[in-house]
Amino acid sequence: MSPDLLTNRIASSVWSQGRRKLARLADTLLLMLAGLLCFWLFVLPVIVVALSSVASHWSGSILPDGLSLRWFEQLQSSDFNALLTSLRIGITVALLGTGLGLWFALALEGRDRRGFGVVVDLLTMLPNGVPSVVLGLAVLIAYHKPPFDLSSSAAIVVLVQLALVLPFCYRLAAAALSPELTVLREAAASQGAAPLRVLLRVVLPHILPALRTSLALGFALSMGELGATLIVYPPGFATVPIVVVGQVERGYYLPASALSLILLLLALMALLLIAVRGPARNRN
Amino acid sequence: MLSLSNPEPSKAITAPSRACADQHRVAARRRETMAQGQLWLLTVLVLGPLVIYPLARLLLLSLSGPQGLSLQYYVAFFQNPQSRGVLVTTLWILIASASLASVLGVLLAALLFFKPFAGARLVTRFLELYVAFPSFLIAFTLIFLYGSQGSVSISLQRLFHLSAPPFDFLFGAGGIILAEVVFYAPFVVRPTLASFEQLDLHLIEAARSLGARHLMVAFRVILPLAWPGIAAGTLLCFLLTLNEFGILLVLGSAQLITLPVAIYSSATVDLDLPSAAAGAVVMLALSLVLYALYRHVQRYQLAGAH
Repeated sequence: MSPDLLTNRIASSVWSQGRRKLARLADTLLLMLAGLLCFWLFVLPVIVVALSSVASHWSGSILPDGLSLRWFEQLQSSDFNALLTSLRIGITVALLGTGLGLWFALALEGRDRRGFGVVVDLLTMLPNGVPSVVLGLAVLIAYHKPPFDLSSSAAIVVLVQLALVLPFCYRLAAAALSPELTVLREAAASQGAAPLRVLLRVVLPHILPALRTSLALGFALSMGELGATLIVYPPGFATVPIVVVGQVERGYYLPASALSLILLLLALMALLLIAVRGPARNRN
Repeated sequence: MLSLSNPEPSKAITAPSRACADQHRVAARRRETMAQGQLWLLTVLVLGPLVIYPLARLLLLSLSGPQGLSLQYYVAFFQNPQSRGVLVTTLWILIASASLASVLGVLLAALLFFKPFAGARLVTRFLELYVAFPSFLIAFTLIFLYGSQGSVSISLQRLFHLSAPPFDFLFGAGGIILAEVVFYAPFVVRPTLASFEQLDLHLIEAARSLGARHLMVAFRVILPLAWPGIAAGTLLCFLLTLNEFGILLVLGSAQLITLPVAIYSSATVDLDLPSAAAGAVVMLALSLVLYALYRHVQRYQLAGAH
């Protein structure tokens, strides 16, 4: 090898090392910038709700003046009523949605691509594409006076939220039904097991993780639903989001924060049930 | 699916096995009839009251008139001085926020997938949980950050010794777009990540080894392969942004009237259900067009995956 070529090589390797270092530095900078942006956009809002709910006073300063639990202590009976209403409706909607979702999934298994099944599949998924305000208005128009008068009961809220939640529950249950499970079901049925027994002993154990996800998601979606509920809710059945939005519009920011934090914690608890236990189940 | 289809008759059929096959076929037909009956039952008992009847009543009410059908409520809704131009406002807010959210979401997904850093999995998990965060709370938290008394405003004011808060964009188009971008970008991340996961990474390596630079790899290799997922995510983002209500109510009801808020206020404040129904039918048509597109692209994506 000629000495000229060697120096050239060394020079170029030094050059490329320098460039690689520069590129790595640029990469790190880019990552840090992206991390900062993510934090700014997605994490900061959550921190702000949490921080403002324990602030004794927060106006005209960067951070709260002091910490206190007084906004939680000052929650009124109407706030607790809203929490109870939200909880009741959320649990009802989650249970009904999961049950109906499973039924639809079982009835439509292998049929959602042909014949009448296509129409049923489409109609079940339809609320996913309908704005919540529009669905709320439609339900209000249909059920606010005789022959179907639900205008003074929580049933109308459950009804509209159930329609909104059903597509998610149906999809989750349908995704969990596998061809192997169908073989098992039919094997059990051919051995003379009654349909209820097949459901309880064969189907349910197999799709339990999906059902848990469906319950948690149904609950969380119901707890946070605003548009449809705001249009249909009868007096005395205001849910937490409605109360929070009312307080925000009147400028009571800190009490609204306290109530939102409780709402978030409830929804998060339901979701953590999936996040913590979901993957461990799948691995088995 | 295997055992749900009719059993195929075997080639060499002996008498006893033919009887058995007949029996099997009868049982299969009976099962099929039962299944169809169950579908009808579900449609009438569940989908009827939940979806079909309300939407039919909505459509009928919006088209009702003094005698027979008329479009008078559509005219009334869109000529109301409060809601005039509401369609244009709604659409440009939608396009601005959903495009920005899609770009941000795709970039975020690319970062999480191609430059995995410590905690990238945690971020992905967090973005999944984000789905349960109610959208109106985003609007609410922005008030704490950028409102006239918000932390960011006060910080900037002190930093630069300003006499007034540095910005006043929150209760209007700026605030709505910011809130919708923040809230809906995570919804683009998941479908995009899913389509990145189906990429053949050897292709990218091959392109790199042939000397293609980052941008070239992104536009000539990754995008053409991953576009169904990206398109599905983007369409979903447009659909969800169009269907958004909480953010518009909290940040926009005072100054910037959009279609959902106009429908809401004409139904609950003016108590004018027919006009609200007319507005709602227009909005429903917009949403369903987007939804049909989304379903189409999603099916394409699923077909590509198998």
